[in-house]
Amino acid sequence: MIISVSGGKGGTGKSTVAVNLAILLAGERRLVMADLDVEDPNDHILLGVSLEEERPVNIMLPFIKYDDCIKCGECGRVCDTGAMLISPDGLPYVIPRLCSGCRACYFVCPTKAIVEGERTIGYTYHTKVDRGSRFDLVTGMLREGEEHTPPAVLAARERAFSIPADLYLVDTSAGTSNSVATAMDGSRLVIAVTEPTPLGLHDLELILRLTQKMGIETWVVMNRSGLGSEERHEEVVRSYGSEIVARIPYSRKIVESYVKGEPIVLLHPDSEEAKVFRELASMVEGVI
Amino acid sequence: MLEMAIASGKGGVGKSTVSATIAITLARRRKVIAVDADADAPNMHLILGLGERWEWEQPYSESMVARIVTEKCIRCGECRAVCPYKAIYVDEDGNYVVNPVICEGCETCSLVCPVKGAIVREEALSGMLRMTRTKYGFPLISARLEPGRPNSGKLVTEEKTKAKEIADDDTIIVVDSAAGIGCQVVSSLAGANMAILVVEPTPASFNALKRVHRLTKHFMQPAAVVINKWDMNPELAGEIEDYARESNLDLLGRIPFDDSIPKSMAMMVPVTEAFPDSPASKALLDVARRVEAILDEWTSWFMRFRPKKPEPYRPIIIKPEGF
Repeated sequence: MIISVSGGKGGTGKSTVAVNLAILLAGERRLVMADLDVEDPNDHILLGVSLEEERPVNIMLPFIKYDDCIKCGECGRVCDTGAMLISPDGLPYVIPRLCSGCRACYFVCPTKAIVEGERTIGYTYHTKVDRGSRFDLVTGMLREGEEHTPPAVLAARERAFSIPADLYLVDTSAGTSNSVATAMDGSRLVIAVTEPTPLGLHDLELILRLTQKMGIETWVVMNRSGLGSEERHEEVVRSYGSEIVARIPYSRKIVESYVKGEPIVLLHPDSEEAKVFRELASMVEGVI
Repeated sequence: MLEMAIASGKGGVGKSTVSATIAITLARRRKVIAVDADADAPNMHLILGLGERWEWEQPYSESMVARIVTEKCIRCGECRAVCPYKAIYVDEDGNYVVNPVICEGCETCSLVCPVKGAIVREEALSGMLRMTRTKYGFPLISARLEPGRPNSGKLVTEEKTKAKEIADDDTIIVVDSAAGIGCQVVSSLAGANMAILVVEPTPASFNALKRVHRLTKHFMQPAAVVINKWDMNPELAGEIEDYARESNLDLLGRIPFDDSIPKSMAMMVPVTEAFPDSPASKALLDVARRVEAILDEWTSWFMRFRPKKPEPYRPIIIKPEGF
């Protein structure tokens, strides 16, 4: 079973919710956590562990056998990222940075003049975590300067799913793009973390629209509860057939745990905040 | 014309608050255009108290989506095997279906499909480009990406092109970038004359700062740092300052952790207007004044904080045999 943590706006507390849930849910079952925020992965930082077992994420990069090229220009026509430049003399040239590795050029070439090379756009990691409970953390990381995230998300997802487990807990990036949809694809449940500000509300509605389109049941967790009005959030959440299942109080303790790289359920197990996470975890147990 | 991009790598650390304060302050003496380059989760209009009333709005479609025509499909599975995004699945009835919130619209599936016309590519609405005037005397250009569409650096470039169309020679363009380091951020930074990097003293944010700083070095941009909520962890704030000094990043100021910022967000009024005397407002205004000073002495600042040696992006390439 896959459960994803997302939320639309950045910095609402997705990773905080995800790592605390991972620790609480890993006790009873084999759990793999997948950090698919490849532009800014930080579950390992919140857990206070170092990334291990690096593997490159390679995507296809076309190379051209100019002796076989008949200058038909088809490769340039099908390239939708502008990576295949057709020069005035009719010969194609590849701009690696722009190539998405989709292989359309490779399939369209009538003379098989395109050969498959590769480009490393990022890395995945597999880290054994022993923080309160034991679980596996798979992390995807985009290389600085690379722009295209979905292949890195997919590679980390596949590496996570290759590890046998009872539960896969996915942490997505901010936003609502197809990268986030790729991360959440196949989830039984999405936990959307928001905050009681108009900004949180605006972006929560976008993620609710996305999970509705994908047909995934969605729960909302209100982080920094007490900071502002939650009435409009409640209305919007209800209109999408969802509900706010937990409220994490606005607190310095969470900030402290965040700064220390020590999840709150371990740092202050008796706190009100840790209790909220335990209640949320037992609700998730109900779904499992 | 001068373009500055505000970025942070990590989300929710205060980019839009810093951007709004800078735009409002600069607009008192200069021509300013604000660009909200976070099309995935645009928030600048909310921070500026504008709501959803746009004076100008235009649909934006640049992406395509594939659709499988069930009646023609022979269920060979070729498309599913080659889809680079794993966007094609088989439904309960055994039909091949494209997931429209994952598909990027590359032509790969259509090219391998053996049946003519079984896979069609259709134009998809990617989002909206919009603009409105603000009561602070500058226009805001914003964009909104349709949920599930590919993250669009092109949409950000479109916003910046729009800004340049209406800009004069002496206009300052303030670009509030998205979280992360992907295409929207790269497009926000590309062509900017300077970058302002917002960070909070947490290990996660510091790490993200270093990642986005590598991008500003790729672009050979001078960059400055604003430490938000610095008193949350003064020790780490100090380490960030050390990093800034060692890396030739200008330090624009430190903003204290202050409830006036979330409160002003709830009111949808910029914090410097809702609580002008709060410690955070004062610190933010100090930062904005520092930015004014930079513009006043632009050439010397640029020369001082421009990266000394080029560190361009270099792709890691694995050649096939024989190349």
